[in-house]
Amino acid sequence: MGRYRYLFSPLRLGPVTVRNRLVFSAHLTNYAEAGLPTEQHAAYYAARAAGGAGLIITEEHSTHPTDWPYEKLIHGFHREVIPGYKRITEAVHRHDVPVFAQINHNGGQASSMYSRLPVWAPSPVADPLFREVPKAVNVREIAEIVSGYGLVAGHCAEGGFDGIELQCSHSSIVRGFLSGATNVRTDHYGGSLENRARLLLEIVDVVREAIGPTRALGVRLCGDELIEGGTTIDEAVEVARLVEATGKVDYINTSIGVATATLFMIEASMHIPPGYALFIPNAIRKAVRLPVVGVGRFKDSLQAERALAEGQCDLVGAVRAQIADPDFVRKAQAGEHDDTRLCLSCNQECVGRMGLNRWLGCIENPSTGREALTVKRVAEPKRRKRVLVVGAGPAGLQSAISAAKHGHDVTVYDRESQAGGMVRWAATIPNRAEFGDLVRNQLNELGRAGGRVVLGQSVDATFVRSQNPDVVVLATGAAVQRPYWAPSDDPRIGDVLDVIRGEFRPPSGARVVIVDELGFHQSTSVAELLADRGCAVELLTPGMVVGQDLGITLDMEGFCIRAASKGITLTPDSVVMGWDGSALSVLHHVSGHMLSLAADCIVLAVPGRADDELYLELVGDTAFEVHRVGDCLAPRRAHAAVIDGERVGSAL
Amino acid sequence: MHLLDPLTIRGRIVPSRVMFGPIETNLGDRRTFSSRHVAFYERRARGGSGIVVTEIASVHDSDWPYERAPLSTECGSSWGVIAGAIRPTGALVLAGLGHAGGQGTSHWNQRELWAPSPVPEVASREVPKVMETQDIVAVVDGFATAAAVATEAGLDGVEINAGQFSLIRQFISGLTNMRGDEYGQDRLRFAREVIRAVRNKMHPDAILALRLSCDEMAPWAGVTPEMAGPIAAELCGLGVDLLTVVRGSIYTGWATQPDMHVEPGFNLALARSVRVVLRDSGLATPVVAQGSIVDVGQAEWALGDGVADVIEMTRAQLADADLVTKVRRDQSARIRPCLLCNQTCKVRDNRNPIITCVVDPRTGFETVDPEADAFAPIGTAAPGTAVTVIGGGVAGLEAARVLATAGRSVRIVERSERLGGVIRVAAAASGRERLSLVADWLEAECRTLGVEIALNLEASSVVGPTIIATGATHGTLPFSVNEHARILHASEALADPSRVPDGPVAIWDPIGGPIGVAMAETLSAAGRSTTLITPDLLVGEKLALTGDLAPSQNRLHALGVTLHKRALVRNVSATTVTVEDRFGGVTSTIEAVALIACGQRLADTSIDPDERHPQAGDRVAPRTTLEAILEGRRAAAAILGGRI
Repeated sequence: MGRYRYLFSPLRLGPVTVRNRLVFSAHLTNYAEAGLPTEQHAAYYAARAAGGAGLIITEEHSTHPTDWPYEKLIHGFHREVIPGYKRITEAVHRHDVPVFAQINHNGGQASSMYSRLPVWAPSPVADPLFREVPKAVNVREIAEIVSGYGLVAGHCAEGGFDGIELQCSHSSIVRGFLSGATNVRTDHYGGSLENRARLLLEIVDVVREAIGPTRALGVRLCGDELIEGGTTIDEAVEVARLVEATGKVDYINTSIGVATATLFMIEASMHIPPGYALFIPNAIRKAVRLPVVGVGRFKDSLQAERALAEGQCDLVGAVRAQIADPDFVRKAQAGEHDDTRLCLSCNQECVGRMGLNRWLGCIENPSTGREALTVKRVAEPKRRKRVLVVGAGPAGLQSAISAAKHGHDVTVYDRESQAGGMVRWAATIPNRAEFGDLVRNQLNELGRAGGRVVLGQSVDATFVRSQNPDVVVLATGAAVQRPYWAPSDDPRIGDVLDVIRGEFRPPSGARVVIVDELGFHQSTSVAELLADRGCAVELLTPGMVVGQDLGITLDMEGFCIRAASKGITLTPDSVVMGWDGSALSVLHHVSGHMLSLAADCIVLAVPGRADDELYLELVGDTAFEVHRVGDCLAPRRAHAAVIDGERVGSAL
Repeated sequence: MHLLDPLTIRGRIVPSRVMFGPIETNLGDRRTFSSRHVAFYERRARGGSGIVVTEIASVHDSDWPYERAPLSTECGSSWGVIAGAIRPTGALVLAGLGHAGGQGTSHWNQRELWAPSPVPEVASREVPKVMETQDIVAVVDGFATAAAVATEAGLDGVEINAGQFSLIRQFISGLTNMRGDEYGQDRLRFAREVIRAVRNKMHPDAILALRLSCDEMAPWAGVTPEMAGPIAAELCGLGVDLLTVVRGSIYTGWATQPDMHVEPGFNLALARSVRVVLRDSGLATPVVAQGSIVDVGQAEWALGDGVADVIEMTRAQLADADLVTKVRRDQSARIRPCLLCNQTCKVRDNRNPIITCVVDPRTGFETVDPEADAFAPIGTAAPGTAVTVIGGGVAGLEAARVLATAGRSVRIVERSERLGGVIRVAAAASGRERLSLVADWLEAECRTLGVEIALNLEASSVVGPTIIATGATHGTLPFSVNEHARILHASEALADPSRVPDGPVAIWDPIGGPIGVAMAETLSAAGRSTTLITPDLLVGEKLALTGDLAPSQNRLHALGVTLHKRALVRNVSATTVTVEDRFGGVTSTIEAVALIACGQRLADTSIDPDERHPQAGDRVAPRTTLEAILEGRRAAAAILGGRI
């Protein structure tokens, strides 16, 4: 056990004993089809169970037809879900891991778009995201909600789940009732905390009745809604006491924020410090004897151990860590820390895809979301090929990893002195440092797979031919290019990459305009960097919103707050038409007005040009196969590079 | 020419001059057409449509522009089912075929986008791969193969998409084609190759239709109306049987299917000019005009005046699937009107909303909802007992209409002096006048069907079978209001503009839908100094779904409306509104003699507070016309003993 005194000790949750303290807690996946759990659900959870998770809690199952906030929700209230439940529980149980079902009604945090029914909530208070006025439920409807929980709990029991978790936290009608911000009722379901908790306690009764004494029951509570007039920790502790007093609940899970108004704090990105929500289990644990689960950007097993050692919580929910590496727990126990594919907390392909109605994936693990399709056993190749990869960015490294795992002889060349391509540079910005774990993870994985990396080696066609490869994978990236109005020899203009590499240094006090056509971290992180260095920064974009795609990764709120505190000016709707050496001509395209914008320095965040020179030289060569991956095919983001690399590498 | 005059194309008879275009539906079963698709198309064909074009199918797996976009290689059998369902109606059915190129998305196939040149799409900013020769060959072959599959499945032909969202247009346009090779030197080459390949692969009597962007509204490098005529003539000369004239490029996402702010028939002059060039070139290719044509009178005029040979009326047939049948029966006045609201029929959205229509929620739900007009007079109440509908807004009117259609005697009790409810108030806002058409239509139908109408009457008690549709009242205000501060709710300001005091006004819009924006336009157009306050990063953000987001920003700027974004209202005084920046926490004040509140409203629960009777619309929860009509139908069904 070595450095872990607590993490791998078993714990009883009522009738269920878990073998370690790491929980793969509930989170949306968008894997459901037509309201039913799928083969992919089973494969996804089974992979984490195989990887050593102490407990799996599935994503939510809806308890009533009025609850359908997003398309790919599991309709737990239909009996047709039971075969899918059995598939999940049998797949997880094969690894001797317990699996609980989270059941829920999202209440007012929904729209009628899919259900074509009024949204139900304690009071007609519109959710700040969906903005649809809910119907205030009457007592007959409350009884229907309660019985829906009982019905679905019964389905879950029949489907083989070892326990039920009631999501009463970040997106739930139960939280809606608990919170003074959304419950303004005057009947015996509103007013005092006892009244506001009535629905929760009625649900606990009916669910315990439905599942009997042999299954565990947990309640997940929100410790701080982070909204005006909302629940804060003191009241959450009181609710935990009420829950414990029922004698029918076996553990308490926690969360922070509301999934619609303050989602950015529930699934915090790398800009929020790890362990930021531990004050919640800590406070609840002092008030109750039930085991308490803590969550909040746990990406490292030592960090989880410390939270247990400090008494912050009894179990740790680590979701993204196990999304990135399904074997996170097993590797921690085995001490294989360098082999763990650390989560970046980038939110790009997990959290970021949920709002886009796409299946949950991972920027660095191409198998995530594809578990049901992935053939685990890698066949020996018919012939071991010599694979030459040009470029050690994420695309090149991933193609090398995949090819090496398939038994090929792989060498990656890069002209730079360090691997990582653009990712390495992006991660040098202080609050983006964790993005660099992608390179660490890929290099470790490639090393284990037996691939080689040769740095500081420029590669041209002559060199490639001299190596007699069977396959050439080009991952040469993109070249910086400038818009027509930006002369390439103008020393006052630089690319974001030039700034990051230290090759373009606007002096402190300089008035810097960043021209952004990418809408993501490239411009916003450099804006922060330059503002921190004392520049007066204006971030200008033709888009309607500055840093448009930060919303997807839940980085928008944090960026806006930091930009406001750093004095960064955000200017949307603006297209640069010219530069006279001291001022930009800017078209405000909404009004059609031309403006002059004085600047000492211009920083460009614009699309690069696919660097395909070597490809064009080699493509006709019949001595070897030629493939392109990543930005040299089309300049895109890191996840596209990894996917390209995986596809090409695995097909050799 | 007349809408009902038949037309012959390649020996096939088109029974009317009305086309139902290839609209996106999200009805797909993964990437094939579903049974819901079949019912959706069959209903329009049965209603008299002359040509139905099915939702555009991708012709190659490099294209997956939205999750439920059909893929031609998977559509053979479902196209066959559609053909079989439509054949008895006499309508022709064409397969929409396309490739979105750089305007697609890599979300679903996780592959690079393909395009002529690496021009990022404006909204997604994704840089596509420059297509190589083998890619071009593969897509050309994809078009031909798809056409063969569709026609062998029994469809009458295909429509090739070279419209706003298409790879073919990207090759034709100087905006997106900067290639140095033969496909750049001759930008029509790709289009010609596609048309020739399709023509050669299909049976000679199959129809080849073309949808072509004839004005990219980007004259610096795009296709202009002047260029479009010769382009159309050259392409039609290759054997195109039907040409649909559309507009738009990557820079004008709103140009296709705009909402009510754009004049109906906006493309008629374009269609006419292209048709003239075709005729002058000796080509008899029938031309289809489209562009928010929802009025039979305008369609008849366009045919009669030689603008076009066929009229695409897609949204009009979403609102009333029996549009042509009603013309045939000389009941044009009873056609359920399209509002051009785009609220639920523009479905390119990550959430995959299913296409429907606010005035006919059965649209898109043909296999789910029963025919609302087809209830037999049976149920819990005796047929002779009159049903009372309390509230003569849209929900109440629709309930009354369905009940009366089923033969029940109905009495509407309305407390105000007119029928229509809050939608007539909403229609008083600038640019939103068409909204009143649904109230006009419902009122006329109810009167035609003999519904008894009592105006200026407050219902005091509930007796006998009753539907409660009493609408909503003002919502709450989450900020402090000083003495003498003037707060007006949007409905008050619209119903009686004279109540807005003289001086600068501020509008508080916590929703981001059409109402706040329209309120600002209305007051600003009336000469008021107007500030629009939103908690969001942009005003009217929910208008993205209707396509009015970008145009609304232009209108607000043109009117000089001051936009106060990411702001929370904290206090209103007699002369100022205090707002707080959501992110910086800094407060500032806005000069305003009145605040117009455009927030959510609250259900009027004064009648039947115990909810013992069927309820509908805003009485349940204040939402949109769609829910009012849907629940009006359901309430009627509950009385009739059925279910919708």
